[in-house]
Amino acid sequence: MVQSRVLAIARKEFLHIVYDFRTLFILFLMPVMQLVMFGYAMNMEIEQVNMAVVDRSGTPGSRELVEGFRASRFFRPFSFEGSREEMEGLFQDRRAHVVMVVPVEFDRKLVREGAVPVQFLIDASDANTAMLVRNYCSRVLEAFNEGRRSRVFAAPFEMRPAVLFNPDLKSSYFFVPGVIAMILVMISALLTSVAIAREKETGTLEQILVSPVRAYEIILGKVLPYLVLAFLDAVLILGVGLLIFGVPFRGDALLLAGLTLLYIFSALSLGLMISTRVKSQQVAMMAALVATLLPTMMLSGMIFPIASMPELLQYVTYVIPARYYLLIVRGILLKGSSLGQLVAPTLSLVVMVLVLLVVSVRRFGTDLET
Amino acid sequence: MRRIFYMVFKEFRQVFRDPQMVGLIFVVPIFQLLVLSFAITTEVKHLKLLVVDLDGSRTSREVVRSFSHTDRFNVVGFTRDLREIQPAMQGWQAQVALVIPPGFGRDLQRGLSPQVQVVVDGVDGNTASVATGYARGILGQFAQGAVRTSRVQGAIMEERMWYNPDLSSKQFMVPGIVVVLLTILPMTLSSLSLVKEKEIGTLEQLMVTPLSKYQLLLGKLVPFLVLSYVELALVTAVAVLVFDISMNGSYGLLAALAFLYLFSTLGLGIFVSTITQSQQQAMFVSWFFMVFMVLMSGFFIPIENMPPVLQKVTYLNPMRFFTTITREIFQKGSSLRYLMKDVIPMTGFGLLIVGLSVVKFRKRIG
Repeated sequence: MVQSRVLAIARKEFLHIVYDFRTLFILFLMPVMQLVMFGYAMNMEIEQVNMAVVDRSGTPGSRELVEGFRASRFFRPFSFEGSREEMEGLFQDRRAHVVMVVPVEFDRKLVREGAVPVQFLIDASDANTAMLVRNYCSRVLEAFNEGRRSRVFAAPFEMRPAVLFNPDLKSSYFFVPGVIAMILVMISALLTSVAIAREKETGTLEQILVSPVRAYEIILGKVLPYLVLAFLDAVLILGVGLLIFGVPFRGDALLLAGLTLLYIFSALSLGLMISTRVKSQQVAMMAALVATLLPTMMLSGMIFPIASMPELLQYVTYVIPARYYLLIVRGILLKGSSLGQLVAPTLSLVVMVLVLLVVSVRRFGTDLET
Repeated sequence: MRRIFYMVFKEFRQVFRDPQMVGLIFVVPIFQLLVLSFAITTEVKHLKLLVVDLDGSRTSREVVRSFSHTDRFNVVGFTRDLREIQPAMQGWQAQVALVIPPGFGRDLQRGLSPQVQVVVDGVDGNTASVATGYARGILGQFAQGAVRTSRVQGAIMEERMWYNPDLSSKQFMVPGIVVVLLTILPMTLSSLSLVKEKEIGTLEQLMVTPLSKYQLLLGKLVPFLVLSYVELALVTAVAVLVFDISMNGSYGLLAALAFLYLFSTLGLGIFVSTITQSQQQAMFVSWFFMVFMVLMSGFFIPIENMPPVLQKVTYLNPMRFFTTITREIFQKGSSLRYLMKDVIPMTGFGLLIVGLSVVKFRKRIG
């Protein structure tokens, strides 16, 4: 009896979706477009940063240094002569990101004193890029020193680096799962956020309320069809991600499917929770958007490492479902992690779903009485 | 003129009637500003390090100590089994493993040049390459200490960070978030408002009033323009007063250019409204536009990093221009002269999209 009532509501909700071709079309086309675009766009490696070089020395050593920067694929050096004001003009005009100033008598000081300061003026108005530029500058400079040092003395031991799971350090391996997590949470939350708000707005909620269904039956019936829909979306974008970007699939497909369903369920519950608390579709959707867009992009570890955030903010990330799903999807796809290795994120998602559902049902229940 | 005023008045009342809406417009953005402005940093710290010390000599312990002394690495465990590295990374317990071979200390003294292996989890490419760099640096210093030769340092990096010397992320994040908010709010409000009237059938009622189409559109847009400006003033005030964001440029210039930008976002919203049938559709379409705009704006992924083709695509994104404009004004105090190459395309886009929506809107009604 309970089952058939839930199914009846699910069927009704499902028909709502299927009849609306445009929304359906949007739901399947847009995520694919987003994934393709962002898979290519997201790249945390700087490439071809414009570098102005003020070479006050003009000796073989200084030219070797500049060549080192040119040879690395990170920089595009061009020579520049001018005062400090003119350098500032370079930044204002955004013609250069960094200015390297090689001091006079670079070679002689290098040999006699063993150490020469080389100045790097970096446009830090984008602190992130500035940090990357600094890292790359110091890497190229280190390589230059290494080359010279090896002519002078041999290192006492060697360091041999090894990279697991993604030896070519491809950005897309990292970002494609991230984009999938973002798309799924947003679609799911946006879908269900209107589910109950719409009935409130059009006045059909009363009609359901006078029928003999219980609060939790309505909630379940509302969630089920979207679960199917969002899951199909997940399969689609995952397939596209694997095909176009060649992201490896090293783990168990069934495990990924199960945990993806769990993640979708948590996002749907979030949308439902919003839906039970608001009066209009407009507020519902805006709330869902606000709750998912920026927090997912910025706090889930999708782009920025959580360990580098201030401690207080790290606690905030615990309420972001994508944070857990990212560990799961990246783990299974790229590392072949097993369920045993993903217990913590899985349990966290389960707890999140339960809390959200209980809150929604209770809230909805009190709505029914008043 | 009176008619538009009534229309504007009606829209305002509709917004302010719903306290949840008011909260969404004014309180939530400030909250987001508070939380998110600290989130962004590509700095890599506290890498989880698994130590595989197969030597166990005094020298090898010194190597380990040189890692654990920095805040770049957090030692999360010790093991003597190489096979534990992979599962530890699969379970996200370790990001880096330092493998010191047996006989390391002895070989070092004999000058046999032993090898230290640093295994990194490559899933996050950026973190992985930074981690390798950190390890190389720490080991290099250790090596210099070990041989105690005359120090051959070579060229030393002396960096000057202009405009933001301590690289505080909020200085550039907060202006970025201001732009994001000035995108999300006007776009969702305007995209939903017209389609809402369509959905509940009140658009026909508006049509039969003596308002002309332009007055109708204007009556819809003006309130959102005003709300967006209030929002801009509010978040800028919070940014400067609470967050200590240095504003080096002119507020007047920012406000003037924001007006030009709102043309684009409000116009896009109205445009979405004319091509969709229900609020849900409108929301999904504007969501698509917004995600596209935010990610392709340079807000947190530098445009220079993108492949050349996509860099060209970003020129279709009005938010790209306004993000640059806002950051340059806040941080560099740039004058209009330096910003013209962003202002012109942004304005062009705004006029185009507003024009397009007007045409589209007129057709639908006619």
